[in-house]
Amino acid sequence: MFRIASAPRKGWQQKAKDFGFTFHSMYGEPYWDESAYYQFTLQQIESDLESPTEEVHQMCLQVVDEVCKSEELLERFQIPKAFWQPVADSWKNADPSLYSRLDFAYNGKLPAKLYENNADTPTSLYESGFWQWLWLQDQVDTNKVSRHSDQFNSLQEKLIERLSQIADHYQVNQIHFSSCQDTIEDRGTVQYLQDCAAESGLDAPFVFIEEIGLGESGRFTDARDHEIVSLFKLYPWEFMQREEFSEHIVGSQTNWIEPLWKSVLSNKALMPMLWKSFKNHPNLLPAYFEHELAQCEHTKIVKKPIFSREGANVSILENGKPLLTAQGPYGEEGFIYQAYSELPRFENNYTLIGSWLVNDQAAGISVREDTSPITQDMSRYLPHIILG
Amino acid sequence: MTRKRSAHINLNRMRKHFSPKPLAIGVASVFLAACSSDRQDAVVYNNADDCAQDNPEQRQACETAYQQALAEAERTGPKYSTQSDCESEFGSNQCRYVNNSSGSFFMPFMAGYMVSNLLSPNRYMYQPLFSSYSPYSPYRYRWMTADGLDYGDIRKRKYRVPPDAFKAKPSATRTIKRGGFGSSVRAKSSWGSKSGKSGWGG
Repeated sequence: MFRIASAPRKGWQQKAKDFGFTFHSMYGEPYWDESAYYQFTLQQIESDLESPTEEVHQMCLQVVDEVCKSEELLERFQIPKAFWQPVADSWKNADPSLYSRLDFAYNGKLPAKLYENNADTPTSLYESGFWQWLWLQDQVDTNKVSRHSDQFNSLQEKLIERLSQIADHYQVNQIHFSSCQDTIEDRGTVQYLQDCAAESGLDAPFVFIEEIGLGESGRFTDARDHEIVSLFKLYPWEFMQREEFSEHIVGSQTNWIEPLWKSVLSNKALMPMLWKSFKNHPNLLPAYFEHELAQCEHTKIVKKPIFSREGANVSILENGKPLLTAQGPYGEEGFIYQAYSELPRFENNYTLIGSWLVNDQAAGISVREDTSPITQDMSRYLPHIILG
Repeated sequence: MTRKRSAHINLNRMRKHFSPKPLAIGVASVFLAACSSDRQDAVVYNNADDCAQDNPEQRQACETAYQQALAEAERTGPKYSTQSDCESEFGSNQCRYVNNSSGSFFMPFMAGYMVSNLLSPNRYMYQPLFSSYSPYSPYRYRWMTADGLDYGDIRKRKYRVPPDAFKAKPSATRTIKRGGFGSSVRAKSSWGSKSGKSGWGG
């Protein structure tokens, strides 16, 4: 695993514009960064990332199964009581899931360590599935990288196939797609999924989360009063389960993507549960609930809110004292603790690997860099290649 | 050697000349001028009698298609909570009260139905159409589908349409209220670090 400096493609910004990649820079800060790329060997990809991703995912699903069968655990996961049964039902019915991203600390040598599971609303999907794919295509075409270069990235192919399977499962030919107002990154991610759905031959209308209505039929409606039968929502379950329309979530009979059981899988309470069930697994970090902290032998630990996005409210503690804290609005539902494992550094950057799953299959990786050891929403995205 | 990346991506699908935006809501019109080989003939009739006069041998098909179009109109047509809202869109005496399994509301009468393939009795196609008599409506004296597609002046009866003109429209219902999702985002968004790019994904 190397970080290799590389000249940005001439005119890539215009290309980004042509393809609707509108959030590659924000407020003068680059987000998409092709001044370097990461190079992996095929063995690193297959043995250290692809297989562990699928294995850890299966371990996570075992925890979901256990949690869905226990009211005590559902409560510890801060699932509102009204959703205990619906979450368990959606798991028992095997409601189909679309995608997830596991975040790993990996330096090319030691086993990748799982940081967290973004199973409900992962973003950076477009950059991964499409934009870095196009970057490699261009680099190969212009002989900037060896023509034997490959990339661990079958995301787009798998998303198209999976959306089609989900539509077949529910016997629908239309899926609504939704994200919040005023966020071009989320809108771009959802537009990408709409494009993938259209490629599978589905009708894929859009509605903003804030515009969703409740129809007299009991179903949710879009801005044109059309009933929403199936909905992909880039909006976290833990929010939806606590908002005004929460009482209509079950009655609306919507086919939810992601399904309700993802509120267990995407929950940070998963981490201490994983450690309990699969102690000393090479891809796991020791993790504890607040009441188990006495068992923790590590002096340097990371405190994470049960619900949190993009590194918000994460603190690094040493002997109980905060060394570094990221601000944010989360934490009222409690915290979990994870042994500190520093992100690998390449030059002056902390590097985090996002490993994608479409349903249960590993589907590619994304590489992000930050100048801080807590990666947040302004971390830069770098492309990667496989060579050798 | 098996590739670890997508073998092929349809670049035309991915190309955008505009930034992603929600679908425009409002009047869309059918481009009837464009000719393509898969278009078929379609005729608009006001009712089953109108249709049977034109196709005396197909009286039964006219009637069945009409009844089916009526049911489809009720399922997919625009719905309003008050008579006056409906009438301001469709004109006075153009609306009726409906009470069915998807709720109770006021909706416009079906103004006509478009049919095709009447000669093959099991494969005919139909689509309900509405029209407005309200001076305030952009659809005044025009044919429109349940989802707002404009087929032009109501005096026009004969069309060449693409096959998807007969695709079933989505169910419409009356929306009781909106805005029941999204409040957590408003509450937390003052934290949006360098807000603008970032959303609620992770």
